[in-house]
Amino acid sequence: MAEKAILLDMEKCIACRACQVACKQWNELPGEKTTFFAAAGGYQNPIGLSPSTYNLIKFYEVEEQNKLRWLFRSHRCMQCVDPACVKACPVTPVKAMTRDENTGAIHVNRELCIGCGACREYCPFTIPVIDTQAEKSTKCTFCFDRLGNGLTPACAKVCPTNCLVFGDRDQILEMAHKAVERLKMKGRHPVIYGEKELSTGTKKIFVLPEALDYYPDLPKNPKVSEDLGLFNELLKPFGTLTLTAALVGMVLAKIREVKEKNEVKS
Amino acid sequence: MTNHWIDIKNADCVLIIGSNAAENHPISFRWVTKAMENGAKLISVDPRFTRTSSRADIYAPIRPGTDIAFINGVMCYLIENNLYNKEYLVDHTTASYLVDPTFGFNDGLFTGYDPTKRMYAKDTWKYQLDENGIPKKDPTLSDSQCVFQLLRKHLSRYTLEKVSNVTGCPPELIVEVAKTYGATGAKDKSGTILYAMGTTQHTVGTQNVRIYSMLQLLLGNVGMAGGGINAMRGESNVQGSTDYGLLFHLLTGYLKTPRVENQTLAQYLEATTPKFNDPKSVNWWQNTPKYMVSLLKAYWGDNAQKENEFCYQNLPKLSANCDHIAMFEAMYDGKIKGLIAMGQNPAVGGPNVNKERKALQKLDWLVAADLWETETAGFWTDPEVDPKKIKTEVFMLPAAASMEKEGSITNSGRWMQWRYAAVHPPGDAKSDLWILDRIYQEVKKLYAADAGVFPDPILSLAWNYGTGEEPDVHMVAKEINGYDLATGKLMAKFADLKDDGTTSSGNWIFCASYTEDGNMAARRDLTDAPNNIGLFPKWSWCWPVNRRIIYNRASCDLQGNPYAPQKWVIKWNAEEKKWTGDVPDGAAPPGAAYSFIMRTEGHARLFGFGLADGPFPEHYEPLESPVKNLMSSQQNNPTIKIWAGEMNMVGTPDKFPIIATTYRVTEHWQAGQMTRNNPWLVELMPDMFVEMSNSLAKAKGVKHGDKVRVSTARGHIVAYAVVTNRFKPFKLNGKAYEQIGLPWHFGFKGLAKGDSANSLTPHVGDANTNIPEYKAFLCDVVKEVG
Repeated sequence: MAEKAILLDMEKCIACRACQVACKQWNELPGEKTTFFAAAGGYQNPIGLSPSTYNLIKFYEVEEQNKLRWLFRSHRCMQCVDPACVKACPVTPVKAMTRDENTGAIHVNRELCIGCGACREYCPFTIPVIDTQAEKSTKCTFCFDRLGNGLTPACAKVCPTNCLVFGDRDQILEMAHKAVERLKMKGRHPVIYGEKELSTGTKKIFVLPEALDYYPDLPKNPKVSEDLGLFNELLKPFGTLTLTAALVGMVLAKIREVKEKNEVKS
Repeated sequence: MTNHWIDIKNADCVLIIGSNAAENHPISFRWVTKAMENGAKLISVDPRFTRTSSRADIYAPIRPGTDIAFINGVMCYLIENNLYNKEYLVDHTTASYLVDPTFGFNDGLFTGYDPTKRMYAKDTWKYQLDENGIPKKDPTLSDSQCVFQLLRKHLSRYTLEKVSNVTGCPPELIVEVAKTYGATGAKDKSGTILYAMGTTQHTVGTQNVRIYSMLQLLLGNVGMAGGGINAMRGESNVQGSTDYGLLFHLLTGYLKTPRVENQTLAQYLEATTPKFNDPKSVNWWQNTPKYMVSLLKAYWGDNAQKENEFCYQNLPKLSANCDHIAMFEAMYDGKIKGLIAMGQNPAVGGPNVNKERKALQKLDWLVAADLWETETAGFWTDPEVDPKKIKTEVFMLPAAASMEKEGSITNSGRWMQWRYAAVHPPGDAKSDLWILDRIYQEVKKLYAADAGVFPDPILSLAWNYGTGEEPDVHMVAKEINGYDLATGKLMAKFADLKDDGTTSSGNWIFCASYTEDGNMAARRDLTDAPNNIGLFPKWSWCWPVNRRIIYNRASCDLQGNPYAPQKWVIKWNAEEKKWTGDVPDGAAPPGAAYSFIMRTEGHARLFGFGLADGPFPEHYEPLESPVKNLMSSQQNNPTIKIWAGEMNMVGTPDKFPIIATTYRVTEHWQAGQMTRNNPWLVELMPDMFVEMSNSLAKAKGVKHGDKVRVSTARGHIVAYAVVTNRFKPFKLNGKAYEQIGLPWHFGFKGLAKGDSANSLTPHVGDANTNIPEYKAFLCDVVKEVG
C-alpha cells in the first residue's frame, strides 16, 4: 500500500464536528460529561484529547483591525512518518505502539500496552493520552481497522465539505499546495503543516488558512527530544518480563531530573 | 429550492441570508465549497457572525427583521447604477406590465387599506388591460405606470443612508454586497440565494422571501444553473410535508384548501382555477380541475362520482385560519379537546411556550407519537406544574425512526428519494404508517357501530394498503402517483390526468414518480445529463416531471439560446425541433410560450398582487422593536393579526431594550429530542447558552461562563453567557443597540436539559402564512445571582 495521508484543509472546515462524532462512533468511545464550553473562542468540547476523545475540533476567535476571524482546527495524532512514539515504546520484543505493516498506520496494540506514558513523553505534539484506569495509551488509530478493509478513515468519510481528504501522501501534498495557491490569491496567509515538520513530515497534512501564530497551541518547530536515545539505553538492561509502567516512570523521572539539573547549570 | 443542492456548485456568487447554512445544512457547504474552488464569492448577511460567516468573503451584519430594507437598498443601488439585466426583465418578468393608475402607496400603506379589518381591498392592485383583456405592456420600461418604474419609485426611498440607519449595516458594506452580487447580473453569470428560517420567521416573512426572488429576477438569475431561490428546508422531509398538504391552507400538490365560500365543487373550481386571455401564457394552474378531481378519486375511490361532486362535500371547509398559533390560542381557550402530536414537540418548538404548555393542560386527551417522551408528551412532568391538577389523558405511542422504516423523503431540492429500513424499530415502536392505519381502522369501526354526526368522510374513504401487519408503503406511493382507472395502470404523467373521474392521483406533482416502469424514486444511476452540470436525472426522481431546475425556460433567450452557454440548462435544437438538457418548462418552441408557466401571466411577478401585505415589499418593524420605523409611520406590518387575550404580552423598549433572536446549531436539531438524547452530541453542547457582545457583557457585569437571566414580557430563562466578538451592537441612527442570541433546542427532558428559548418568543405571525416571529423580539439581561 502506498504511503497514505489525510489532507486537513482547514479553510474548508465549517466546524460541524461530524469528524469528532464519527471518530467516537467507529471507535466505540463514550460521550464525555461536559459543562457549558471547555474554552473561550467558540463551542469547543471537551477540554482536550482523552481516552474517550481521539479527535477534537478547536475554535480560535481572533479580531484584528475590526476584521474578525473564526478559525477551526482538528486536534489529533499527526501520524508521523518517522514516529518517535514507536521508538520510545519500551515494550519488547513486539512494540505496543506499533506501525501497522499493511496500512502504515501508527496505533496502540492494547493487548501489549503497559500504559507507561513513554509515547506521550516523546511525542513532539504531546498527543497520546494514558488511560490510567486501564493502563493503556490512547490516540487516533488512523482507522487501521478500516483502511485494512479498503475503507476511508471515519473522519474523512463523513466530512461534508471535503476539508478532510484521504489518499496517497504524494497526491495529498499536491492538493495541499494547490489549496495554498488558491488561498494566497484570496489574500490569505496559508501554511502547510506536516509536509516537512520533523524533517520527514507527518501523514496528517494541514492546510492552515492563516499563519501559525493564530494557532498558539500548535508547536511552531516540533522536535523529538534529544534524550530519546538515552531513555532507550537506560531501559535496555531490564529486558521484557519485568517491565512495568512504574519502572518506566522511574526512568522517565530520572531523565527529567538530569535534564532539569543541566538546564539550571546552563 | 427552485434548483437543488448539487447545483449550488454552478454559482458565480453565493448569497446566504436568513440562513446559517454551514451550521444547519452542513451538506450545502460541500457545494458552496466547490463553487468557491471555482472562484465564486460567498456573502453572508446575518445579525451575528456564524460558522457560515467564517467562510465568507464578505460578512454584512444586519439587525434582525430588516431584510426588506437591506435588499431594497441593494436593489435601489443596482437599478440606479444600471447593474440589472434588462433583457431578462422584459422577456421573463412583469417589469413591462402597466399597472392601473388608481394603485398607489403613501406613508407605508398601499391603496385599499381597511384599518378596522387590518386588511387590504385589492381592487386597485391590478394591471391595465387592452380590449382583449390582456395586460398592456411597455417593453422600453419607461412608462411611469409600468411595474419597473413603480418598483423603482418604491425603492428610491431606500437610500444607502436610510438603509444603514434601519439595518445597522455600514453603507460601504451595502455597496460592496450590491456590487459583488450585482456582478451576477451579467448574462452568462449566475448567483444563488440560500435562505431559511432567518428569513421566514418574521411578521414580514413572506415578503422577505419575495424580495430575494425579486433581486434574483432583477439580475436574471432564476432558471439558471447556479441561480434560483433556494430554501434550506428545516428538516430532511419538510419539503415533502408541504408538498403533501400538511399545511392547513393547502391540500396535496399546493391545491388550495376549500373555504366556506366554496360550497360546491363548481364554486371551488371557479374560485381556484385562474383564467387568462393571452394565448402565449401556458397558465398551468388552468388544469386545477383535473388535479382536484383526481385527488378526490384517490381519497374516496369508487364512492367519488360526478353525481356527488366526487365526494367534495367530505372535505372540511375553512372559515378561519388554522395555523399553529391559532390552534394553540383555541386550545388555550378550551375550544380544542384533543391533540395528536406526531414527531412534533410544540412544548419546546412552539412560540411563547409558557402559553402553549398551559394550553396542553386544557386538553381532554393528547396522543404523542415519538422516539422519546418529549416535553410535549410529558408536559405534565414539567417541574413547574403540579400533575395532580392536570386532567389530560396522555397516550404515548413509541414511533420508529426514519432509518427504521421504508418510504420516501423529499429533500429541499424536490428530489423524492426512496429509502429502505436499515434496522428494525426497537421494542413496540411502529412506523407512522402503521400507527395512522390502526387509528383509522379503529375510528372506522367506531363510526360503523355508531354513525355519529358526519360519518361519510371516514366510512367512504378508499383505504387499500394490503393485508399485511405493516401497510404496504409501495401501495401508498402508487396511490400518490395515481392510476388510469379504466385500465388500472399507473399514470405515466400528470398531463394525462382528467377532471371526469377516470383518473386518480393522490398528489398531482408527484404523478410520474411511480409508473408502470417502476419506482422512479429508487433509481440510483449516476449518469449526468448532456449539459454536465450535475443534474443526475436518473438519480431518484424530482417533482415536477423530473425537472431539476424549475423555470428553466428563463435560462434562454427567446430564440432558445442559453444565456450561459458554459453551464446551459436547456437549449433549443432547431434541426430536431426540440429542447435538450433538463426537462424544459413545457415543450413549446422558444418564443411560442412565456417562460414562467406556473404564473397566470406567464411572467415572473415583480408586482405581487396576491399577497396580503402589498405588491412591493415594504419595511416594517418587528412586533417588538427598539426603534421607530424610519420608513413610514406604520410601525408594524399593518396586516398582521394581533392576538389579544391572556399571556400575549408585548414588550416595550423602555423595559426590554435588547434585541433577541433565536436559532439552531449544528450540534442539536429542532426541539432536541434526537440530539439531546445522544451522548456524543450532548458532549459537544451540553447546556443552554446565550451569546452576547463584549460591550453588553461589560455593561451588565457578566463574564464568559456566568449564568444570566434573560427576560421578555412573556417569561424568563437562565442560561450560560457566551461573551464573544461574534456579537456586536448595531448602530442605528447614531445610537448603539445590543442584541443577544439564543439556541432554541433545549427543554426539561432528555440527557441535556435547559431552559427553552421559546419561553421568551411572542405569539405573532406573518401576515400571509402566520409563521411565528421567532427571530426578532425584545428582552433584558441580568447576571443571575446565586
